[in-house]
Amino acid sequence: MSMVRKWTLGRALALLVLLGAAVISVFPFIWMIVGMTLNPNDVLKGILVPGRDFVSNWTKATTSYNLPIFFFNSLKIALLTVVFGLAVNGLAAYGFEKHQSKARDKVFGVLMLTLIIPQIALVIPMFRMFAFFKLLNTHAAIILPSIMSVFIIFFMRQNFKMFPTEIMEAARVDGASEMGIFVRIVTPSMQATYASAAIYLFLGQWNSYLWPLITILSDAKKTLPLAMASMMSAYTIEYGALMVIVCISVLPVLVLFLSMQKQFVAGLLGSVK
Amino acid sequence: MNKRGSYQRYLNRFGWFCVTPATILFTLFMLYPILSSLYYVTRRWKGMSNTFIGLGNFVRMAHDKVFQGALANNFIFMVIQIPLMIFLALMLAVLLNQGIRRFRGALRLAIFLPAVTSLVVVSVLFRVLLQANGLLNNVMLDAHLISSPIGWLNDAFWAKVTIILAITWRWTGYNMVFFLVGLQSIDTEIYEAAEVDGASKLRQLFTITIPLLMPVILFSLVTSTSGTMQLLEEPNILTWQGGPANATMTAALYIYRQAFFINADFGYATAMSYVVVVISGVFAILQMRLLGERKAK
Repeated sequence: MSMVRKWTLGRALALLVLLGAAVISVFPFIWMIVGMTLNPNDVLKGILVPGRDFVSNWTKATTSYNLPIFFFNSLKIALLTVVFGLAVNGLAAYGFEKHQSKARDKVFGVLMLTLIIPQIALVIPMFRMFAFFKLLNTHAAIILPSIMSVFIIFFMRQNFKMFPTEIMEAARVDGASEMGIFVRIVTPSMQATYASAAIYLFLGQWNSYLWPLITILSDAKKTLPLAMASMMSAYTIEYGALMVIVCISVLPVLVLFLSMQKQFVAGLLGSVK
Repeated sequence: MNKRGSYQRYLNRFGWFCVTPATILFTLFMLYPILSSLYYVTRRWKGMSNTFIGLGNFVRMAHDKVFQGALANNFIFMVIQIPLMIFLALMLAVLLNQGIRRFRGALRLAIFLPAVTSLVVVSVLFRVLLQANGLLNNVMLDAHLISSPIGWLNDAFWAKVTIILAITWRWTGYNMVFFLVGLQSIDTEIYEAAEVDGASKLRQLFTITIPLLMPVILFSLVTSTSGTMQLLEEPNILTWQGGPANATMTAALYIYRQAFFINADFGYATAMSYVVVVISGVFAILQMRLLGERKAK
């Protein structure tokens, strides 16, 4: 009898702690969604009843703050990074894993050595390089350095390990070319790996701040994170419009997460396996 | 024989074809910056020109109180925030895994949700929530928890607390998911055997769960440490340029400001980034070694 009571008490306590954590985690999302409909003062106070200012906030965000331009800049940059990143890193991971040679193993070893180097240590020579090639203030400057990712190559290589080499051998006997094997046989069966890598690349670029901050100078080229950051430096902050921009910048990631939870988490956890 | 040799050559050529694009990009955007930084680190910039000063940048660092303070802040955030976050994430993971059956999926989803926000979004959200006349102060005033508003953003002590709160909110659920994956790989028979032996739940936690989770805990320690060494968005946007009066200045932010914001002192900034690389490297090696020892046991 007492055992049963103790248990339910423990369960109730566990549920309470978890509920508390869930509320703290979710609350800012509710607050920012409601914030889109409030006047700036009410956003600050944290009123949780929807107001009537959505249209004026939306108009401000899209006209005085150029939200559509920032959104499409961010989207274009992130999508191009994903496309090129999947092609380059997928091919490299496949080459390192399925076409091993002593020389290529050495190249891979050099790649892995740089895995722990923080970005701040690379940006100064990179800035001078892009200045030299007159590529500052272009979207190419943001995209080019983020295509190759040592982490993604490592992650995809781990997954290519599981692809049976016998299937490749059988295809060779049937006269398939190496490129044909990679494109038509290996890639289609690694869709989950590509999806995780795509999510990882997309998130990294969609959220990136430091490198765009260094390279982008004009307002028309800015991405969403840069736009939000510069809104915060204004003397008076339009909180309602700010909440619209914040929500729009979170939305794609949220949709991606809710629709592809499994690949999303695999993308984050890639290296734990 | 000859035919076979040419086929081998074809395979080898294809292997190089695969890795070449990535290797070119790696050389341009990783290897070249690393190697050329060896040049920058010995130079002093004055306007557009620069001169060789050998190890002068490191001497300057020894007298730079702001940089030393920034490094100290990195350590403070590391020592307080990481254990706090790992404790919370571990507790939530264990409770989710063993404490309840109902609502498990929904609760896990909710607690993970902050991980979909970017560091810029987190900084913006907390900056608005923690204004002097903002939501958190209002709620605490109404509940009579405090008698006057807390200076979350403009008091040297509370600004550090703010940074810690923001990072903890953003990353606890993320780390919890790591721990959940680890917990699910533990065989339930071990717990059943412990139950038969009469071990309490708390004892099971310390003698079974935590030791078996150690590799995952160490992994999250390594990634969190490297993340803390790179803190930049939060002190730049949330507490505004490392303020108040450099109370939340971090090494990465100070380097960025020296190179691109206040001065164009690329040499000095590079030298400071070397210190950050060395410190991150030492931590990573120490923690990996710890991880390796655990695995060997």
